[in-house]
Amino acid sequence: MNWLALSDPAAWMVSAAQVIASVVIMTGVLQTLFYFVQLAYAGAALATRPPVARTATLWRRYSEQAPSISVLAPAFNEELNIVESTRSLLALQYPDFEVIVINDGSKDGTLQRMIDEFGLSQVERFVDRSVEHAPIRGFYASPDYPRLLVVDKENGGKADALNAGINCCRTSLFCAIDADSILESDALLRVVRPFVDEPHLTIAAGGTIRIANGCKVDSGRISDIRLPGNFLALVQIVEYLRAFLMARLGLGKMQALTVISGAFGLFRRRHVVEVGGYSHGTVGEDMELVLKLHRLMRDRELPYRIEFIAEPVCWTECPDSVAVLSRQRARWQRGALECFAKHRDMLFNPRYGRIGFVGFSQILLVDVLGPLIEVVGYVLVPLLWALGLLALPWLLAFLAVTFTLGIFLSVATLVLEEIQLRRFPKIGELLVLAAVAVLENFGYRQLSNVWRLQGWWQFVRKQQSWGAMTRKGFATS
Amino acid sequence: MTSLLMLWEISLLLCMIAAGALCVLVLARVLGERKDRKQEDLRAELLPALLGDDFPAQRLTGTRLDVAATLTSELAEMTRGTEREALLSRADAMGVPELLVRRLHSRSAQTRLVSVETLSLFDDQINETCRALDDRNADVRLGAALALAQRPDAPSPETLVEKLRMGSEEHSLLLVSLMSDLVDRDPGSVAALLFERNIPVEAKIAATDALAQGGGEYAPLLAYMARESFGEPDLQPRIYRALGRNGHPAGADAIAAGLDSPEWTVRAAAAEAAGRIGAAEVSDKLGRMLADEAWWVRLRAGEALLRLGPRGIAALREAAEAADQTVRSTALAMLAEGRAT
Repeated sequence: MNWLALSDPAAWMVSAAQVIASVVIMTGVLQTLFYFVQLAYAGAALATRPPVARTATLWRRYSEQAPSISVLAPAFNEELNIVESTRSLLALQYPDFEVIVINDGSKDGTLQRMIDEFGLSQVERFVDRSVEHAPIRGFYASPDYPRLLVVDKENGGKADALNAGINCCRTSLFCAIDADSILESDALLRVVRPFVDEPHLTIAAGGTIRIANGCKVDSGRISDIRLPGNFLALVQIVEYLRAFLMARLGLGKMQALTVISGAFGLFRRRHVVEVGGYSHGTVGEDMELVLKLHRLMRDRELPYRIEFIAEPVCWTECPDSVAVLSRQRARWQRGALECFAKHRDMLFNPRYGRIGFVGFSQILLVDVLGPLIEVVGYVLVPLLWALGLLALPWLLAFLAVTFTLGIFLSVATLVLEEIQLRRFPKIGELLVLAAVAVLENFGYRQLSNVWRLQGWWQFVRKQQSWGAMTRKGFATS
Repeated sequence: MTSLLMLWEISLLLCMIAAGALCVLVLARVLGERKDRKQEDLRAELLPALLGDDFPAQRLTGTRLDVAATLTSELAEMTRGTEREALLSRADAMGVPELLVRRLHSRSAQTRLVSVETLSLFDDQINETCRALDDRNADVRLGAALALAQRPDAPSPETLVEKLRMGSEEHSLLLVSLMSDLVDRDPGSVAALLFERNIPVEAKIAATDALAQGGGEYAPLLAYMARESFGEPDLQPRIYRALGRNGHPAGADAIAAGLDSPEWTVRAAAAEAAGRIGAAEVSDKLGRMLADEAWWVRLRAGEALLRLGPRGIAALREAAEAADQTVRSTALAMLAEGRAT
């Protein structure tokens, strides 16, 4: 940039355009470099992961030593799926576990369906009061299902329901899931591995979330893995692959994981109670819990590990309409911003080590600045180029960071998936996803950034609602 | 400008590399599927030969031997007793052990682990299996140790402690399973670990847990350890839980002492143990623990009182009328939960 030319209005406009483009491109390059590092770490994590045993072998090994687990399933207006989901949870392969379904003040017949289907009657339960939640109205259980406990409480939201579950559980570990998700039968056996291998260090572990749209569900199990026909659902499969196989696996390997999905995470109860459980008043309660755990352990200068494991899978239904998806994405964005704002003192704070430098850099680049700067780039860079204020190389560099490098990262994640996990049974499905990885950059990516800006706007206005999340239910065979 | 163009060109190059890699993988998948189909046919052919008496077992080579070895590993996990012995004898005649020994040098830890687990089942392969205790991968070493511990000619507990690098590299809860298997064979040598100075604490904890399942004769030793581990909040609760599992009344005094520990984790574990061994003499103390500040202690004390039968339930009923709100509500909830109101 020629600073002497600033007195010339035309040169000044060119310089200003170049500054804008530089900021956009540099942010994109930084994001991409961050992703490259994550991809490399994810590759290393998969290449050096412990041998993956068959389920039967795991059962034989863990049957005596695996710690007891309480599976916490908060349910709000889940009348349609709750019985099938609960049956699926009760059929999990794990030596010692309890399923605690928390009816979070549902307005439909969720509780009655559970009572009728499982022959439940009201019981007493001595519960802890360590973490805060809305009042509990009653407990329901049946001698026919000794592993099942239903907690009926006043409505307070998902975090509140999980807190009630934490107070009710009597095991050292609890697994937080969504009641409308499907855990693979050996998911607990697999996700518990770090707690068995490093019992004194591991305080939390997350598993993979996969999209069940298009799959066939039989008796609460995924019986046939298929791709959905809906484009939005297909794009989300690629997004989830990137998020879990690249980002979380990579960050987990770096020990800088900042989020464990609320749909599937295993936690040491004692530490979660010490940080006050899930926070109220945020829609990013899953991310906030992990950040609070990092803070607790770093403040106490205690060694610990928060892990991500690729093998255990939880299947979930993703939105396949623009209206629902936009609400979900805006909410996720708002949740990330709320967590960042609440824990901003951890950013680049040496006290928090790699969480402050790596984990929070990721949030800053990807969640805080990313959508703002990218949308500015979409509007201004092509416009400034069309007005002749930017030369072609600027536009090409912008296209590189927003399109081609994005395509590379998505396809590279697919390559990693195929080499290490090979979860898509048909070749055709892999090719379809490769095509989607290219197409998503033309339209969907831009739309997604607009939704994230909506999340930004909601954050600025301190909006707290979750918004309706309409689900169609799984396709049963 | 050059760097901007370079960014564009690099991004295009990376895209092409990724697309090329994906194409190679798709091709590999196509070829792999053909191989898989061939192996499926071979599995169907070899399965009766491994399981049935009607098929003479003959020396195999190449892919057939590969498939036979994989099948042997899978079937060995599903069979027991004479059925497994017959399977291993046929696999031996086919040359499976030799292939498994070669697989111990594989670059894949997964392959080495499965191989050593299967190899340990063959009586004449103990030396090869023991070599896997020096494997570079900790999971393979532990897998080998767990497999060996089930054999009558397993290495000594001290050797396994050293080979697994217990306490420094190996911290798994599966060490308790390992010690339990060793206790079944030679409880004395496992108990001896507790008196060795150079044995790491984690090995001693695992040995303690395992000995708890070994019968009442080890209760005095466990009680001694429970007292001696005072001030070690990570270790002491495990010893108290072990005393509870052991179930012998010889642990009662040590358990009663644990109920007064300043650490809530120890008090909770001691209360649990008191219930398990039926230590009715501490029921008053357990009743007072219903006022403990830690919820876990109140819960375990309440559970223990329920377990103690009439004397414990009487203590709970008395507590249900106490002036202290915490004691009263805890006792009432536990009585209701135990349907002893």
